[in-house]
This record gives sequence, C-alpha cells and structure tokens, in this order.
Amino acid sequence: MIDSKIKDIILKARGEARKQGITAALFLHREDSNLIRLGNSAVALSTSEELTRFSVEVVNGRRVGAYSINADVNSLDIVMDALNRANENCLESPELDYQPIPSEVEEDTADYTGYDPQMISLTAEDKTTVCSKIIKSMPDKYSFSGSWSSGETEVFLATTVNDNCAYRKLSDGVLKIVMKNNIAGWEIAADQTGKNRADFCADAAVSHINALLSIYENNPGYQTVIGKQPVVFGPDAIAEMLTMALWGGFIGRYWEEKRAFTSSNSFGDMLFAPSVNIYDDPACPDTFGYPFDFAGRKRSKFDFVKDGAFAGLIYDNATAAKYGKKPTGHDIGTMDIVFATGDAVPGLENALAQVGDAIYIPQLHYLHLPDPTRGQITGSSRFNAMRVVGGKFAAPLLSTRVTDTILNIFGSITAISAKSVPINISSTYGRRSPEVISVPEYIICSEVRISDVADSF
Amino acid sequence: MNNEMTGEIRRQFDRVLAAGCSWADIRIYIEDATESLYLDDGNLEGNSASLSSGMGVRVLYRGAWGFAATAKMENMAECFNRALNNARAAAELPGFPKDSGDVVKVAGKYESPVVTDPFTVKLKEKTDFMRAIDAKLQNEHIEHRTVSLYFQKRIVHYFNTDGTEYQRKIINNFADMSVMAADDEGRTQQRSCELAGNGKGTRGFEWLADSNFAGNADRINAELAELLTAPKLPAGKRSVILLPGQGFLQVHETIGHALELDRILGYELSFAGGSHVKPDMIGKLSFGSEKLNAYAGFTSNSPGTFGLDDDGIPQSEYPLIKNGLLVNVLSCRGDIKEANHVAGRDVMKSSGGASRSCAFYRPPIDRMTNINVAPGNDGTLDDIIAATEDGIIMDVPVSWSIGSNREHFHFGCEIAWEVKNGVKGKVFKNSTYHGHSLPFWHNLDKVGDITTWKLQQVANCGKGEPNQIMEVGHGIPVMRFADVDTGEE
Repeated sequence: MIDSKIKDIILKARGEARKQGITAALFLHREDSNLIRLGNSAVALSTSEELTRFSVEVVNGRRVGAYSINADVNSLDIVMDALNRANENCLESPELDYQPIPSEVEEDTADYTGYDPQMISLTAEDKTTVCSKIIKSMPDKYSFSGSWSSGETEVFLATTVNDNCAYRKLSDGVLKIVMKNNIAGWEIAADQTGKNRADFCADAAVSHINALLSIYENNPGYQTVIGKQPVVFGPDAIAEMLTMALWGGFIGRYWEEKRAFTSSNSFGDMLFAPSVNIYDDPACPDTFGYPFDFAGRKRSKFDFVKDGAFAGLIYDNATAAKYGKKPTGHDIGTMDIVFATGDAVPGLENALAQVGDAIYIPQLHYLHLPDPTRGQITGSSRFNAMRVVGGKFAAPLLSTRVTDTILNIFGSITAISAKSVPINISSTYGRRSPEVISVPEYIICSEVRISDVADSF
Repeated sequence: MNNEMTGEIRRQFDRVLAAGCSWADIRIYIEDATESLYLDDGNLEGNSASLSSGMGVRVLYRGAWGFAATAKMENMAECFNRALNNARAAAELPGFPKDSGDVVKVAGKYESPVVTDPFTVKLKEKTDFMRAIDAKLQNEHIEHRTVSLYFQKRIVHYFNTDGTEYQRKIINNFADMSVMAADDEGRTQQRSCELAGNGKGTRGFEWLADSNFAGNADRINAELAELLTAPKLPAGKRSVILLPGQGFLQVHETIGHALELDRILGYELSFAGGSHVKPDMIGKLSFGSEKLNAYAGFTSNSPGTFGLDDDGIPQSEYPLIKNGLLVNVLSCRGDIKEANHVAGRDVMKSSGGASRSCAFYRPPIDRMTNINVAPGNDGTLDDIIAATEDGIIMDVPVSWSIGSNREHFHFGCEIAWEVKNGVKGKVFKNSTYHGHSLPFWHNLDKVGDITTWKLQQVANCGKGEPNQIMEVGHGIPVMRFADVDTGEE
C-alpha cells in the first residue's frame, strides 16, 4: 500500500479542501525506475530515478485550474501549497461556456495484481549479467545495442467528491536487444516485456535472433518494388498501426471536430475487414490492466471496432463536458488495447505458407498521419523485415516505406493469427507509463501500398 | 546555492573520486517551472502549472557512466552512491572507455535575455492576450479555434569535478494559434502559426507583443479559407520551396538528428535509431550542394541557447556543414575519443557542447542546440519564386516520418502554393513530399537571403531512454530544392 505517511497527508489535504469548499482531485504518481542502455556491446549508461509527482485539479463552477509538483512530497505544507496554487489558478481563470466534469473515484480500489516484488529487486548487475550472456552467445563480429528498463509505479487518487480512494501498484519491464552487422548494415532485434521477473530470459532472446540470422548472413538485402503488394505484418507493426488507428479514428474530440478518418461514419458502419475486433480491456492478461482511469472512473471492456464495424469513441472528461457526452473511462495516458486474435493457424511459418510471395514487416519506424482525415499513415520497415518467396523467408528487406490508409490496410486483411502477443509501447516521457497492447502474432494484408524503397537497411 | 550545499557537493566529489571514479557532476534544479494555457474555441480548457526540483548525479567509473536522480535534497550522498553502483554495474560489461577529455573549468552564469518574466504576469493578462487573438480568429468560415501559451523557467546549478560551478536561468516562451474548418469534402483542414522570431531581442512575455505574433491571425484565417476549396496536391516531381515554417523540420530531422554523435556511434539504435553518417565521413562527406551551410549557433533569442551544456562545456558557434561538406557533428565530451578511434583518425578535437538533459531526473545525452542554416545569396522569397518555373511552396508540418538511419523521409504540410513560370498561384491541400536525405540536400539550388531567415522554436524534440523532451531552435532561410517527389499517387 502507499506509504501511510503520504496517504495521511493527502487525505488531510482532502479534508482541508472540503472545509474550504474546494472541489479537487488529488493524484500521486510515484516511480522507482532503473534502466541500462547498451551500445556497441557494452553498458553505455545505467540509471535509476526515484520520483514522486503530485498533482491537483480544481473545479469551481465553470472554472478549472491545475498544479503539479515533482519534488519530495513529505509534508502537509507541500501538498497544501499545491492545492492552494491549483485553487488560485482556478479562481483567476475565466469561466468556460459549458460545465466541466470533476473527477470522482467511483469505487474504492487497491490493486496489486500486476506487482512482482522480484521484478523490483532486479538490479543493474542482474541486467548486465543477462545482457552479457546474450552478447557472449553470438559471434564477436556483431555489435549489440539496446535497453532494459524496469521499475515500479504507484498511483493514488482521492477526490473531494466522495471518500473513495483508488490505488494501484504495478511492476513492469521491457528489454530490447539489437544485434547489428556493422559492415552489411543490417539489424536484428529481440524484445521481451512483462510484469514479472520470469518474463525475461537470455536464452529466449538468443533463440529469437538465431532464428533469423542465417537469412541475414547468407542473403544480400532485397529492394522491393514500389506499388501495391501483399504484406505480412508482425506484432510490433500491428501495434504501431493500431496506435495510429486509434489516434486518427477513435478519439471523440477529433471525431467531433471532423478531424478523424471516421468523422463521416456512424456506429455500425463497416470500417475494416469483418474479422477485425479492437477493444480496450483491462481484464486482458496480456496488458497491464488499468482498473480505473485518472479521473477515478472504473474501467471495463470498451469496443472500438466490432466485427469490422465502427463501435466506439473515447471521450475524456474535458471532451465529454464540451460535447455533452458521457466520459468513457479514458482520462489516462495508457490503455489496455486489444486487437483480437483470429482463426489463422499460429506460427509465422504458417502465415508465410499462406501468402506465398510477399514481404514481411514485423516493425514500423516513425509512423505518422500525413492525412488524418483519410487515415493515411506512413512509416518505414525496421528490424527483422524479410522478403518472402514460395512461403519462406528469402532475404532481408532493405528499408521500405509503407504509405496507405488504415482503412485499406485493415480492410484488406485476409488472415489473423489465433495467437496473441503482448507488445510494449510504454514511454517514460515525463513519468513512467507502462503500456502493453495485445495483438495477433501476424496479420496478412492482400494489398498494401509501398511508396518508397531505400538501398540500405 | 548556500555554502553548506556547495561544501557537501565537494565532499561527495572527493568521495567518489577516491572510490575510483575519474569524473563526476551534479545538476541541482532549484526551480523547474512550467505554465500551460490552452484556449479552445474561446474556453480556457487547459490551465495548469508545475514545479520540479531535485538533483541528478553522474559519475564516470572505469570508463562507464552511472546516473541517479532524486527529489530528496537531503539524500545527496545516497544519490551519489546509487550513481556509483550503477556505474560499477555498467563497468562489468565494458566497451570503448568513456572519457571526460581535457579538464575544462568554468565559472559564471547564463541568463536568457528577458524583460518580463512570464511567471510574474497575472493569469488575466495572459488570458486577455489569448482572447484578443481568439477574437481575431473568429470568422464565419472557421469551425474551431485554438490559442496556446507555454512558459518554462529553469534555474539550474551545475558542478563537476573539473572545478566548474555554473548557474543557468533559462526562460522559454512558446505560443501557437490555429484555425480549422471542414473543406468541400467534409474533411477538416487546419492552418496554424507558432511564435518565431529573428533570433534577436528578448524572450520574456514582452516577446509576444514585440514579435506581433497576434498579427498572424488574419493571415492564417485567410489561408484556411483558400484551403477549404483547394484541390489536393497532385503527385509529381517538381521544385519545392520550403518556407522556414517547414524548412526547420527538414533541417531538424535530416541534418540535426543525423549529426548527433550518439546516434552515429550506435547508442540510440534500439529506440531513436542510427544515422547514415559515420565518424570517418567527417571532413569527407558531401552532405549537400555547395549552397548548404549549416551550423550550431549561439543564437541569443532561442530555446536552443543555454550558455553551458550539461557536461560543463561552454556553448559555442561552429560549422557542421560548410559549402555542402560535412565538417563536424553534435557531440558530448564522453564520446570524442571513441569517434576518433572508430574513424581511425582524429576527426574531432573536442566536445561540441551539445550534452543536454531535459530535467534533473534525466541524464544528459547528445542534443541539438540551435541547428541553423546560413542565409544565402539568392535574394528574397519573391526573387526565388520569380526564378522558379514549376514548383510548390510548402509551409508548416502536419506529419513527419523519417527512416531509422535518417536516410529517407516523408513530410506532410498544412498548405502548399503552386508556382508556375515565376508566379505564385493556387493553393493545394493535403500536400506531401518525400525523398532521400543526401540526394535531397544535393538538390538544394536556392537559399534565400537574411530577409527570409527565421528562428523557429521546437518545444517537443523527443529522444533517449529514459525518454526526454528537449527544446531546440532552428534559424532557417527560405530554401528551394529541385526534382522533389511531391503528392501521393
């Protein structure tokens, strides 16, 4: 449970706010993060950060104000200072022309389901040992880079609206190893993610790299042709495209402002292939399972796309207030997104056999939306991409740019693997925000536009 | 900084040096404040402020870096211990030994040029300013309007074992406005404008008025009206004229990031990516046409100016690309020897003073500062238009996607104007262009004069693990490129 002293301080501040008639949400985010960064087969950097962020949001009639601190939150004075500053911001603020929705913890919650103390005991030395084992398993001629981040995150939310509190403690980690041939220029990557210490293993990383190595070592890079062709997308690429799809098509605010590629659609309209189901589900075991959002709403399964049809839009508190809608439990930087598995036989070899001749793109780099209103995305292949001939990997693929619409890509899906894969899309911008998307091991798309090819990896 | 704290820092330095460290530093953030205001269709929807304080400690032990951070000021010794333990663990898997290089002892301070600290200005004055712009943005064809202001203040004390003691007081001032409306296909188009300048003057709250930022409201309003009935840019090869509002991103993504030494050496491969540039190319690589002169600038009114970097190296102005030839890259002090070793010759003499951290809780990494392109001698924007037979003028990014080694790119822009036979003509919507970095820069065939040069601010450059957002500046003239692939099939 959250440090009892800090909890007491926050609850005392809540009491003070109530006495003063302030409607406030008090939110604490604490992290203990550790990371090693590999470069040129060495640990190039080893870091650890213990951080506590405390933020207050105040609603007064039609006014809003917020204040946050990243400091040593150890006294009522510090917490009250933040509360008072948020309140001052609010009081000085002009009125909105709609009624803002204050945060409210719907259910008293204390969640530890994603916490593994062994993960937290993982030291820089432990990580170095595992990485050293991976590196020493491979020939000296290769250079290794990567990173391994792990840590624990606690969040605690209390509001003046009721006596409920919401608390979550989560451990998480993500390991990425990249093996590079500095002469040929290619890179093979292996990723691992999880909530538990047991999710990380040197042998699995070595095995993953070895499975692709002979193709890279024995074949020159292949430059594919510009134009439409079948593509087998692997899990990271699916997660990248899914993230873009959600951003470009399923954010209520963008839909209301006609900036979404779904803005001309209504719920029930077919968007993608009928086999596509996309939802947010905190109960999915692959994801980190956020039981409440940071406005205190209890989170549950939420459909975005059901059997290919448009099914839902995200409304955060501010957007819901502005457009007169009900918030959907998405006042949170992270979700538990699932691209549901299909009925295709698991195993990449089965995907390749189905497709015959194609390209395999397991990861996409720097995806963006040149035309959000059409759902047009662009990004280029990165690690582990291959040419597929006769149902088998034939050569590593040189850097290949995909520029097409999400509607075309997810609309041309002919097969979805029955196996799911957790893909870590966490970020540590500002604060530790663990996030995993559950996606199929592969999807096969019959027709994807390749807009550019390079002569390098 | 009181004497007691300074004395404690010196004691900790002595302790880690005695424990085998070759170098150490500490950054103490006394005040790291932000204020963010967001006016959405006239409503102050975003009204938040933040304050951070704490310390970040870095030690170099047997050629390996260790870093630790804490907000608990009384825990300095423990923070040094954690940094040392991290470095010891890193040293168990050693690579090319990191090295702090020659001793560089600096004393002094840097303060951003400011008349009025924006944090002293009342909220009402700020919201009145925003509302005045919002009123100008209102028009019958406008469906959605935004105005935002974002202020930063950082007071940082820096110490290292070279004996350096330095104070930075940085103030940043960002602003933007946008208008949106659905076009004749029912799809929303946008025009926006960010606060930019000429690199001179002061950057406090007064800059918002001095720069006549509000004066852009009428322009973007009128340009959006044109976009609403404009055709989509047809695909084709043609000359592209980049205004500074787009040129800055071209420079940022395909020169700035490509020339960061940590990317060049492979330290960012697993996240941000690598670079097509290799250390032995310094002094040899023809990066672009002879018209290309890019440099790391000490531009007074810019978020990329800070005085002393987070390695304790004074910021300076130096060329990166001279008449098209790559002559230097962006670097920190720890990687110079490795770059020379990899190149097999001395390609770099000293740090480029580009080691920067975004917060007390993040370690410094190689970063852009002010990556500027020098004005050329091809005249004004009108002169360049007049000299263009078949081209497109492009402005303001919508999207940016770059290859993992910065070798190719694809950009989308808010607006484009046709140029035919030397005359600027109709507007196109949904304009994009793409290319490969080196051929593209070799096709740079016109560079505008100083009248076209603008200092664009970037508030959100993301890089590094743990992730960091950094503020940088780009002074950019109008640039024309020949034979560019534009539009989508």
